Amino acid sequence: MAKVIGIDLGTTNSAVAVMEGGSPKIIYSSEGRNVIPSIVDPIKHIIGDVAKRQMVVNPKSTVFSVKRLMGRKYNDKSVQKDTEWLPYTIKSGREGMAVIEIGGKTFTPQEISAMILQKIKADAEAYLGGKITEAVITVPAYFDDSQRQATKQAGEIAGLTVKRILNEPTAASLAYGLDKKHAHTVAVYDLGGGTFDISILELGEGVYEVKSTNGDTHLGGDDFDRRIMDYFADDFKKEHGVDLRKDPQALQRLKDSAEKAKIELSSSLETEINLPFITQGKDGPLHMVFKLTRAKLENIVSDLIESTIKPVEAALKDAKMTKDKIDEIVMVGGMTRMPRVFQLVKEFFGKEPNRTVNPDEVVAIGAAVQAGVLTGEVKDVVLLDVTPLTLGVETLGGVMTPLIKRNTTVPTSKSEIFSTAADNQTSVEINILQGERPMAGDNKSLGRFILDGIPPAPRGVPQVEVSFDIDANGILNVSAKDKATGKTQSIKIMGSTGLSKDEIDKMTKEADEHAADDTSKKEKIEAKNKADNLIYVAEKSLKDAGDKVPADIKKEVEEKIAAVKTLTDASTKDEIEEKTKDLSETLQKIGQSMYQQQQQQKQGEDEPPVEEKPEKEKEEKNNDKKNKGSKKENVQEGEVVDS
Amino acid sequence: MTKKIDNNNKQPISVSKDEDWKSKYLRALADYRNLEKRTIEEKYEIKTRAAANFILKLLPVVDILEKVEKNVHDEGLELALKQLREMFKIEGLEKIEVVGKRFDPYVMECIEVVEAESEGQVAEELRRGYAYKGKIIRVAQVKVGRKKEEIKNKETVNT
Repeated sequence: MAKVIGIDLGTTNSAVAVMEGGSPKIIYSSEGRNVIPSIVDPIKHIIGDVAKRQMVVNPKSTVFSVKRLMGRKYNDKSVQKDTEWLPYTIKSGREGMAVIEIGGKTFTPQEISAMILQKIKADAEAYLGGKITEAVITVPAYFDDSQRQATKQAGEIAGLTVKRILNEPTAASLAYGLDKKHAHTVAVYDLGGGTFDISILELGEGVYEVKSTNGDTHLGGDDFDRRIMDYFADDFKKEHGVDLRKDPQALQRLKDSAEKAKIELSSSLETEINLPFITQGKDGPLHMVFKLTRAKLENIVSDLIESTIKPVEAALKDAKMTKDKIDEIVMVGGMTRMPRVFQLVKEFFGKEPNRTVNPDEVVAIGAAVQAGVLTGEVKDVVLLDVTPLTLGVETLGGVMTPLIKRNTTVPTSKSEIFSTAADNQTSVEINILQGERPMAGDNKSLGRFILDGIPPAPRGVPQVEVSFDIDANGILNVSAKDKATGKTQSIKIMGSTGLSKDEIDKMTKEADEHAADDTSKKEKIEAKNKADNLIYVAEKSLKDAGDKVPADIKKEVEEKIAAVKTLTDASTKDEIEEKTKDLSETLQKIGQSMYQQQQQQKQGEDEPPVEEKPEKEKEEKNNDKKNKGSKKENVQEGEVVDS
Repeated sequence: MTKKIDNNNKQPISVSKDEDWKSKYLRALADYRNLEKRTIEEKYEIKTRAAANFILKLLPVVDILEKVEKNVHDEGLELALKQLREMFKIEGLEKIEVVGKRFDPYVMECIEVVEAESEGQVAEELRRGYAYKGKIIRVAQVKVGRKKEEIKNKETVNT
């Protein structure tokens, strides 16, 4: 089935999104951008970024802000006002509708918009790899019937069946899923590139009704940029006596820098504008170096920001509502990234506004959600669960070894090979753990079982395959299989994902809080495990080598072994590592002396002095509940943290 | 008898349910396949784009150095820039030649229109444009020429 795309046909920029795998996704333009400038040269048929670049060359044939003319009469007051500043020619067309004249040809705003939609359609088709014939297009809430009709026609000219014309604020609310949250009243604050809109919505019987709208059709990010630019230019003029605004090249660089500074100051407190060779002075090139702080920027534009509050108050009044009655606030438009804007809205409503969705994309995303609802994709979507917490097993030293990481989409399965921790260990205990902490004891144990009947073998030799499998219902199946005998044990755990949100939050928070502490604890245990392993290797080497080891070396090794054995849980990680290293170095002497002897016997058997275990094999925590006869000294390690 | 009727009634329902699941499964599978294909493409894209992003941040510095080069003749600086340009070339970063060519908004951005002999040609390059691995990553900023009589109608546009 063909996809239906959601389009935000904006005054300054447009964006497009589509439902994919049950979630909305923004489609990038062929230029690799998430938005397309709503600019068209209808004569050359150039759209978007490319059209924007040739505006200066063809000011009379490059159309922008065409949305301001959509479905309006030429005599309309707002059209008359726009004619004054828009560089292209606007005329009265059929039935007195506003049309654009370029080089003797007339274009309706619908035709111009259709060209933008055509590009959007083409980009979406390239991305999705199939024909697109249907779309949901958004319009401002204040658009009247004629303007909505015009938008619909634009879609049809572009070859798109418009499944629905959706209000922009409603789309933004859908993007946040506010309808599902049963937010009764929503305020949508939209400060874009060239317009400011505030809408008050009320949810009734699953449909958002626009109670009131207000705003300023000529207030947006561009005004902010101009303020910053003027501030720089005035300052530069004062210092050097040169007006940068008169030099188009300098002006362009200044404009770019002003916008960049504005964006940077949303995340940092200070930025530097660095424009060497900005212009030519009397005594050679002039440079511009300027520091701008966030506080200064806020100062420069404070009245612009403050001026948005009046329309908000008016909208509330029209909706017969007070600000404390608003359940949710949604931020739309790039300018809402500015901390001061966010702060002001938050202070005004006394509530945290929603801003997790990219404010440039939120309307298109909401349109895609609506498109998904219309095609049934949203309703029918199979909700795939994720594991809220990491699942793993306890390994030697009480360490949590993860098998399935948190946030993995289920159904899923994963297996890993483990081994024994002691010689002749015939059984292993699988302790299934859930949680984010590195130590087993700090996590929740979901269940445990024992796999026995492992043939006696030296430690690290047996191979036990532990498999985790979570089905679509969240039921966890854990099995352990001895590769040698094929013997298998398993356990089924219901509701491994069925933790309450509070529980998950608590466990995740704890993990964060203890992260540093836990890591050092885990590192220490790992050091200790290494030490134990080395003791084992050392004792084995001594035994294997027998009389071939000179008595003095043997004695030295035994002393070092004893030293490592004196280490307790109270010893520090560094202490453990140091003594282990000591032993490891002494141990090499066995090898050396044996090689010397071998040289005398010409070629003897080649046995490396220290056997490093393959890294990949993790040793299963030794369990001696069944293995009472276990006589090795490192067995108690597994029990220390067993609680 | 009644049983049979029951069965007959049940049959179509369960079949349609199966069909429903089947179509959902197939759709999910298709989505997945497509995602897989796109992921491969995107991986390559991301790799080049990551490099391109870094280069983009580096280019303003190169611009400045080149401006310095024009104003101050220093052998060391010239050598350093020469080396930098060679490195760019090896890595696949190429500069777009614009001066004297027809203005092309796909690779250039017009900053100013100036009086000139020929109409619609690039009169001056203000900022170099670059292509990385054959893809334009930064358009050139240029002055475009226009014959004298036409310049009167020029209007400056602030976007």
